[in-house]
Amino acid sequence: MNASKIAKDAQTPLKKFAYASTVTCSTQASAYGKCIAASYMDVRRDMCKEEFAKFAECLRTTLKRKW
Amino acid sequence: MSLSRLARIWPSARRYASHSVNSPAPSFNTVGPYQVFDRNVKCMQRDGAASRNGGEQSRLVDYVRDEVAHRMMERFLARPGHFSKLLEPEKVKKSIMIDSSHATLNRDTDEEFEVEVERRHGDEESLLQIISPNSQEAVVSCLSLHWVNDLPGALVQIKEALQADGLFLGAMFGGDTLFELRTALQLAEVEREGGISPRISPMTDTRDISNLLGRAGFTLLTVDIDEVKVGYPSMWELMEDLGEMGEGNAVIGRRPFIHRDTLAAASAIYKELHGNDDGSIPATFQIGWKPAPTQPKPLDRGTGKVNLKEVL
Repeated sequence: MNASKIAKDAQTPLKKFAYASTVTCSTQASAYGKCIAASYMDVRRDMCKEEFAKFAECLRTTLKRKW
Repeated sequence: MSLSRLARIWPSARRYASHSVNSPAPSFNTVGPYQVFDRNVKCMQRDGAASRNGGEQSRLVDYVRDEVAHRMMERFLARPGHFSKLLEPEKVKKSIMIDSSHATLNRDTDEEFEVEVERRHGDEESLLQIISPNSQEAVVSCLSLHWVNDLPGALVQIKEALQADGLFLGAMFGGDTLFELRTALQLAEVEREGGISPRISPMTDTRDISNLLGRAGFTLLTVDIDEVKVGYPSMWELMEDLGEMGEGNAVIGRRPFIHRDTLAAASAIYKELHGNDDGSIPATFQIGWKPAPTQPKPLDRGTGKVNLKEVL
């Protein structure tokens, strides 16, 4: 199955969200994940705030929604 | 008049309602086993999962159970429940299947078995109400004990249900099952919200299992661990499949929601922390095995009635 077919199949809100967070915004997601993985033994609140802000921004623009 | 009054009272009453309407209120006057899981919610989840799409989705996600059932077969050549189709008629006459979820129990009623099969709907936690004591030659449990609150009590009941020299063979999720998902969700919750909440069930450790079996009165114990690793495209598919399996969160005191940002964060962390090189993510299911034949112990010294001289 190619990417556009999966995107077309992703109809429910959760599926759309899943698709956006793993495929459309994969670069930002990976940056955030790497930030956490770099010091996962000592995680504090808002440790990777900047990375996550970019990730969240991408999700919101992709899904054209605010939350 | 009374209706409008009700309507006015209701919203404020809702504010005090506990997060899970289905669980019975904890009673502080009785001493009982520590309640970890909400059995009613678990039953509803499993009923729902098994009846969705006529059971089609639920059959699709049987892969973990089927794999475990096959591995159980290697250890013991007979198995009821999920695997009664593999029972051999020359060894087994009749098998009773017990499940607390009615829909799961009767999902595949048209399936053909070589041996006589009976389906009984009832709670595993009160096993002796379903089957009579000293009636079974063997009791087999395949991945159902991980939702039991009173594990010591359930094991004692299994022992009571067995005839003398009967065998109990069980497989349950334990140890580090789903540790990838657990850690990803915990890290995401700590970083995003500043705290953690119970998302994945507490699992029984293998060492505890052998102690519990010994305490229940089983002898000749064997306990070992096996690992089933499944690859998923991402965390979302894993969570969807867990839901279809009826293995959703049923821990008492769970938070019934998760913030979208936290979920997205967990997905990203899962991939970076545990992901495979090909972009997929692994999920580990650790299964503890515990064959435990209850065997009569040797008599005490000096209680023999037959003179050895006469025999020889």
